[in-house]
Amino acid sequence: MNNSGGSGGDDMGFPDGGNSAANCPSSGMIANSISEEVPMMAMSSMSTLERPPISVDPFFTSGWDTLASLSHNENYGSSSLVSHGNFVGSSYPVLMDNQGFGRNGSTQLAQCLSDPRLQYIGSGSISEMVGGSFGLPELNHLANHGSLPNSASNINSSGCERNSEKGAQSCECQNSGEEPDGSSAGDRRRKRSPDPSSQYCSNKNNEGDNSDVLRLQNEKKQKIEQPESADFSKHNTKQSKDDSSNDGEAPKEDYIHMRARRGQATNSHSLAERVRREKISERMRMLQELVPGCNKITGKAVMLDEIINYVQSLQQQVEFLSMKLSTLIPGMSIDLEKALSKEAHSRGGGATNLALNPGMGLPHLYAQGVLKGTLPIMPSTDQYRPLSQASLDGELQALYNMGFDSISGRMKPEQRM
Amino acid sequence: MKNPQRSPTNPGSLRSRFTQVFLQSLLRIRKHNPTSSSSSSHGEFLKRCRRVKVAAYVSMARAVGTRRAWSRATLWRARNGERQRNLLYGRCSKSNSRERSLGKRKRKKKKKKKRDNEEHSFGHAKKLQKLVPGGEAMDFCCLLDETAHYIKCLITQVKVMRSIADFYSL
Repeated sequence: MNNSGGSGGDDMGFPDGGNSAANCPSSGMIANSISEEVPMMAMSSMSTLERPPISVDPFFTSGWDTLASLSHNENYGSSSLVSHGNFVGSSYPVLMDNQGFGRNGSTQLAQCLSDPRLQYIGSGSISEMVGGSFGLPELNHLANHGSLPNSASNINSSGCERNSEKGAQSCECQNSGEEPDGSSAGDRRRKRSPDPSSQYCSNKNNEGDNSDVLRLQNEKKQKIEQPESADFSKHNTKQSKDDSSNDGEAPKEDYIHMRARRGQATNSHSLAERVRREKISERMRMLQELVPGCNKITGKAVMLDEIINYVQSLQQQVEFLSMKLSTLIPGMSIDLEKALSKEAHSRGGGATNLALNPGMGLPHLYAQGVLKGTLPIMPSTDQYRPLSQASLDGELQALYNMGFDSISGRMKPEQRM
Repeated sequence: MKNPQRSPTNPGSLRSRFTQVFLQSLLRIRKHNPTSSSSSSHGEFLKRCRRVKVAAYVSMARAVGTRRAWSRATLWRARNGERQRNLLYGRCSKSNSRERSLGKRKRKKKKKKKRDNEEHSFGHAKKLQKLVPGGEAMDFCCLLDETAHYIKCLITQVKVMRSIADFYSL
């Protein structure tokens, strides 16, 4: 273990560790000690997870970088290291504030690293580990409290608390559906999504964790692994529209929970409004498919007009057809009924386009079409039903007497049945 | 989203169910009015027309079942419709008030959360609410949902009725 290289994994990390160590005002002298301790730390974290004998101050100040760099070496290139370095620089004051624990912090750090990270190391979430390690002060708090049932929830709550309290920190925590305080879920939702101060992962946070926020507890572990793998691939890439679209689909899976997308308001009211608006637009699209001739119509008002006209025309058709059938009832017999039911089954309804073709186009033509179509049919029945001719004559006259106006005039009250 | 909901009421089975129920109701009307052919007056004819129309709507609602709010509303209206119908003849104003009170009762019965529609299409929504049975007690989103299903069923109904009319007229 030499100062310059250490174990094999230190090659990439050491220069950065040195740089960040140089950046840190208080750790200029610690670089050497770090190089000794970091390999041990790396080995411990990677393999056995023993308690590293590292003093608190160097670890928290500049050991972060090396640790981050080492862990990242396993997975990424060196590009991530710089950002992590920046990260640590930004989180310095915060970390320094929480150094009250002294030696305990390191041991607890190791504990926290060992226990919760085990499951995540398996899934390859070293980034999460590193990100979680940034939140160690919180973890220390939590370890002290020690009453959290799920280690995942420890990390999650740490991430939640961290994000809500310190927006400048890494947001690589795993946001899962379980939140220790359900009442603050809305607040977290509001605070977490616009994470402007965090640099590289703010973009990722909104989108990468989009699919995670407020999931059910059962889905938590599955969902955690998904964005982890996603995080790997787009760890340092700026958020693209593809990501937002990909992750925009995820919130739609669970219609109860919604997450603010990038560039959108994050008020809980506006979130609910957006969900509602999307529901409505989806249903309008369905109605557009149903109502013929509405493919080119854009706009809810015009669409609603078309829908209303179509429903009215359909109801008028029912009215006319019921009138027609009422004249034909005397001609009905039970035998015919059976034959008719069979025919109604087989017939696709396309042969009955006498009066109206629903594909005609404009809805206001429907009523006219029915009017034109129904009445000519009535006289034809006279030829085929000589027995009931008298009644048909009377009813035909009744129909004609009623005329179009009275028919349409009677529509509205009769439609109420 | 609509298709899985629609599968129990796919057009084939819905049409057949409606056909059966409607034909039965037509025959029942025919039985109840045997002398209508001979002494057909204007009023009698209208009565029969209305009965056929009600039978058409009710049989469609029965074919759909109680899954849908509009079918429930239709069946409810039919069950309590005699009161309305008795009042309709000649006493429009009173019947309207009675219908309104009945409608209010029905609305209270299945009153859902009435949301203040901030949509600009609120006026249209009111119109649509009157058209779709049971639409007054719905918010805009559910109203659109019910309207879609209602339109599908109306199309089926019109097709079947037309085929029946053609069958008997030929």
